[in-house]
Amino acid sequence: MPDAADSSPSDVARLFDAYRPVASSYDEMCASDGVVRPHWEYLVCSLAELGTEELDRRVAETRRIAFENGVTYNVHSQSVSLPRPWLLDPIPLLLTSDEWHRIEQGLVQRAEVLELLLADLYGPRRLLRDGIVPPALILSHPGFLRPCHDVINDRRRPLVLYAADLARTPDGEMHVVGDRTQAPSGSGYALENRLILSRIFPSLYRDSHVHRLALYFRALRLTLQSLAPPGQTNPHVAVLTSGPASETYFEHAYLADYLGYTLVEGGDLVVRDDRVWLKALDGLKPVDVLLRRVDDVFCDPLELRGDSLLGTPGLLHAIRSGTIGIANPVGASVLENNGLMAFLPQVCRALLEEDLELPSTQTWWCGDDASRAYVVEHLEELVIKPIHPHPSSSILFAARMTSAQREELVARIAAQPHLYVAQQQLSLSTVPVVHQGRLEARPMMLRTYLAANTDGFTVMPGGLVRVAPAPDAPLVSNQLGGLSKDLWVLASEPERQVTLLATESQPVGVIRAEDGVPARVADDLFWLGRYASRTESCARLLREVLLRLLGNERIPSDDGLVLLLHAVAVQTHTLSAEGTSPAVDRAENEILRLLTDETQIGSLRFNIQALARAGGAVRDRLSADAWRTIQSIERTVAPPLHLSRAVEVLQRTVLQLSAFTGLCHEGMSRGPGWYFLEIGRRLEHGMQSAVLLRLLFVDGFAHGNRQLWEALLAAALSLKTFRRRYRSRLPPGAVLDLLLLDTSNPRSLAFQLVQLESLVMSLSGDSEAHRGAESRLALEALTRMRLFDTDKLDAVYDPSTAESLEELLLDIHRLLSRLSDEITRHYFHLTDTPQQLVRYQ
Amino acid sequence: MKLRVVHTTQYRYGAPVTLCHNEAHLIPRSTPRQRCLEGRVETEPIPSRYRERTDYFGNPLVYFAIHDPHDVLRVTATAVVEVDPIDSADHGKSPPWEQVATGFTKGTTLLEAQELVLDSPLVALHAELVSFAKPSFPPGRPLLEAVSDLNRRIHEELSYAPRSTNISTPLSVVLRERRGVCQDFAHLAIGCLRSFGLPARYVSGYVESEPPPGRSRIDGADASHAWFSVFDPAAGWVDFDPTNDQLVSDRHVTTAWGRDYSDVTPLKGIFFGGGSHTLDVSVDVSRVEGQCGVNG
Repeated sequence: MPDAADSSPSDVARLFDAYRPVASSYDEMCASDGVVRPHWEYLVCSLAELGTEELDRRVAETRRIAFENGVTYNVHSQSVSLPRPWLLDPIPLLLTSDEWHRIEQGLVQRAEVLELLLADLYGPRRLLRDGIVPPALILSHPGFLRPCHDVINDRRRPLVLYAADLARTPDGEMHVVGDRTQAPSGSGYALENRLILSRIFPSLYRDSHVHRLALYFRALRLTLQSLAPPGQTNPHVAVLTSGPASETYFEHAYLADYLGYTLVEGGDLVVRDDRVWLKALDGLKPVDVLLRRVDDVFCDPLELRGDSLLGTPGLLHAIRSGTIGIANPVGASVLENNGLMAFLPQVCRALLEEDLELPSTQTWWCGDDASRAYVVEHLEELVIKPIHPHPSSSILFAARMTSAQREELVARIAAQPHLYVAQQQLSLSTVPVVHQGRLEARPMMLRTYLAANTDGFTVMPGGLVRVAPAPDAPLVSNQLGGLSKDLWVLASEPERQVTLLATESQPVGVIRAEDGVPARVADDLFWLGRYASRTESCARLLREVLLRLLGNERIPSDDGLVLLLHAVAVQTHTLSAEGTSPAVDRAENEILRLLTDETQIGSLRFNIQALARAGGAVRDRLSADAWRTIQSIERTVAPPLHLSRAVEVLQRTVLQLSAFTGLCHEGMSRGPGWYFLEIGRRLEHGMQSAVLLRLLFVDGFAHGNRQLWEALLAAALSLKTFRRRYRSRLPPGAVLDLLLLDTSNPRSLAFQLVQLESLVMSLSGDSEAHRGAESRLALEALTRMRLFDTDKLDAVYDPSTAESLEELLLDIHRLLSRLSDEITRHYFHLTDTPQQLVRYQ
Repeated sequence: MKLRVVHTTQYRYGAPVTLCHNEAHLIPRSTPRQRCLEGRVETEPIPSRYRERTDYFGNPLVYFAIHDPHDVLRVTATAVVEVDPIDSADHGKSPPWEQVATGFTKGTTLLEAQELVLDSPLVALHAELVSFAKPSFPPGRPLLEAVSDLNRRIHEELSYAPRSTNISTPLSVVLRERRGVCQDFAHLAIGCLRSFGLPARYVSGYVESEPPPGRSRIDGADASHAWFSVFDPAAGWVDFDPTNDQLVSDRHVTTAWGRDYSDVTPLKGIFFGGGSHTLDVSVDVSRVEGQCGVNG
């Protein structure tokens, strides 16, 4: 490899000296005699040439790229869901084309069987009547959704997406250990893994002749398009996500972006006139096809789970009306049934008149008396699972149970045998991962992906390899903290380059750049703008107060400090019930608390978390850099925080917020989304300024404290400008002019109002002659400011000046607050949440 | 006998509802024992969308949506149903209950019966159900005799207490407190039967509101009613009304059946806006002129 460091035999030895595959399982890289399998040789040599140090660097590089690209997997722990960085091991799993071809054939056959089975279960149910599949196995499965019986069975392609989890047995056979049919996840992660590895090992990747993934996504896109109702030549396709709290939200946003679809949540859609519409800002936009990543039972609260807030009421009715295509169809989770594996060979013979090519892991359904007797007798060798692989239902290893627990389990099975299956314990094959500069053998599973095409299924020539978190871990799951890998299927000859961006054989028409911004997204962007601005004001003020408390800046008289602290208390909503702010002698601790206490409404940390939540909800609309900046802000202000670092932390926060603002400004197209972000920002900035100016300036007159103005100037970022203009003098009239009226100062109140007025006009499409409620309010605020008598600034010590100034600032604050309400009423009213009718008996 | 059913449901909202989607199991199905001569659902305001279809269990199901803002939703279901009198079955002639419990699973033709022996969303297997039912099921007792006894015991041991429960009250609470409404009694009986491996289904319907001369008024007549049906391989499905301790007669109109209440909810809906809301229900079941006294 041209980019490899010099290697020596000792490097190779060091790299491999910890690699100890377990003799009882199959190792993907080494044969049982320890010799590297031929198709791994090239990779092994290349790694050895790289040397351990370089390999470590590449590992770090994969992490860095994954982090930069914002690849995360949400891990649910108790009530909070934390985005966890995606962990990718740089060594791919390698399979030869020959072996892959056999696997591929088996997968296609299995998908075909499952598709026919699905149509039968929601249609004639011949297999149940004929006893080929025991009725109890299906009829007791929570995924068998009776309202879907007439929805699936008359569809042209009942199954569009299918994923199978494969594991290799010690004798080298690939077995299917799980079928995923309702909303298979992971194909986006597989794609991202591929993109990262091709960057980490450019020449190795190129020279290995790896099958490309793009063909799969192309097939998927064509199939989704074909699901549109007849006559739709350029259908509007949307990815239906369960939202940022979903484990795989990153992937939903990523796939939507890659495939060029709108990302929507159930609440963004509404069913009217028997069809599905997107609640866009400018009204309802028809949606023709949904790529669904919401579980079956949550899709429609009218006909399925009534308490679901993730779905769209009436969706099943729209599907039944034939006005929308959906992949996968609602109801497909009936196939995610562990017990089906025991009957698939018979089903395959009944439906295709063929033998099942790709075996499943050996499975006993306890609803069958003979199988149950076997299970009870061999309990310790088996794994017990419910037929319904629900995340909350546990997989039980009888071998690790006490005898009392085993008895209890046997009793539970005896009470409802049809709900349980037993499977042989898997002895997974192992694969090398880089661990502390060396290779370590870890158990792995492979998830493969299929998409329906016009006459069958296209298999993704790759997949998502998941590796156990430790060499002896029994389970492989992303939720439990595993590592992922790419799968390289090595072509026998070089592949032609295909990407989604290349011209397609069938013209798909121009993909519309904006298929409508969902009203919810606009709402979140508006609040993202508001919180970004609020956080910045908060950080700036806290910084100025802290600098003065710590003596780095001129110390104002105690009166002044009291006023500053009062401003902080007002801004952070921490005024005590009596309206008093913290005493000066306790101020430091109080400021520290206002930095980090997330339970305190209005604290910096609180605002940052609100900012991150709003940002997370519209992540797909932000550039990767902008989103990353939000995440770093979150990390910057994480407790514990010592006073000695507080100023530096605030400094960094202000900088990062500026970076975020800049990134949004540079990285977002000037569509409606950007307008809402910007309006939110200007509106909040205006409101914050109005409050601060009133508290510090107006009250400052009363206290005759000019040093306050300096703090105010610094907090408002205009100190430099001011000093440049006025040197060390601080004429109050000039200070006011700069902060209040100077439209050339981008931090003045007037500047916010000018911007706001023009933004609101552009968004609503109003003209001077015809103004709606929002642009009237924006104009009123601006005019109120413009009509302020500037002569008064020359007589700042006149009490009447303070009075009229206070009145002005209160008025503007009130107008801005009304403007915010008006925008909410006008644009976001579509974001109502649905309710269930009270039922009676 | 010919019965006319008028079932009115009225929702009054605190704020306007901008959009609602609803499903109604309010049109009676035709069965071997009854013919639905007329059945319709009308709403106020007039629905923007209205469609009738047949659900998984063969019941008529109405979907309607209202797109115009409204403060009140009034749903009126009207039906005329002709119900045949029942033959007073000789319960002693039915097969022993154990034979039914094991027998029907052998043949796979009766998919429906197989389905109705399994747990359903509102009726899950529970040890308390078995112990409650046990006294009615001594070994070898003819099925219908056993069920009839269970029906009587539910009527005697539990008190009919309107508004004491709601649809989310679990069966264990109903059993513990020994009271409930017709839905609870039907669920209880179904749970008992299924825990012995006997297929049982939930039937939703109405009973005649005004009693014929000389007979007492029936509980559950002022709202939609519910009872259960047990599968006897010889006699087919036999209906029992535990609320009134009787076999279902020609005074009962069947609307729909399913595994439990959740499959045949008379009216459900999802709406946008609306704030809080209140509900009024009235049901009137009367004999159609000229048919009076046929069974009196």
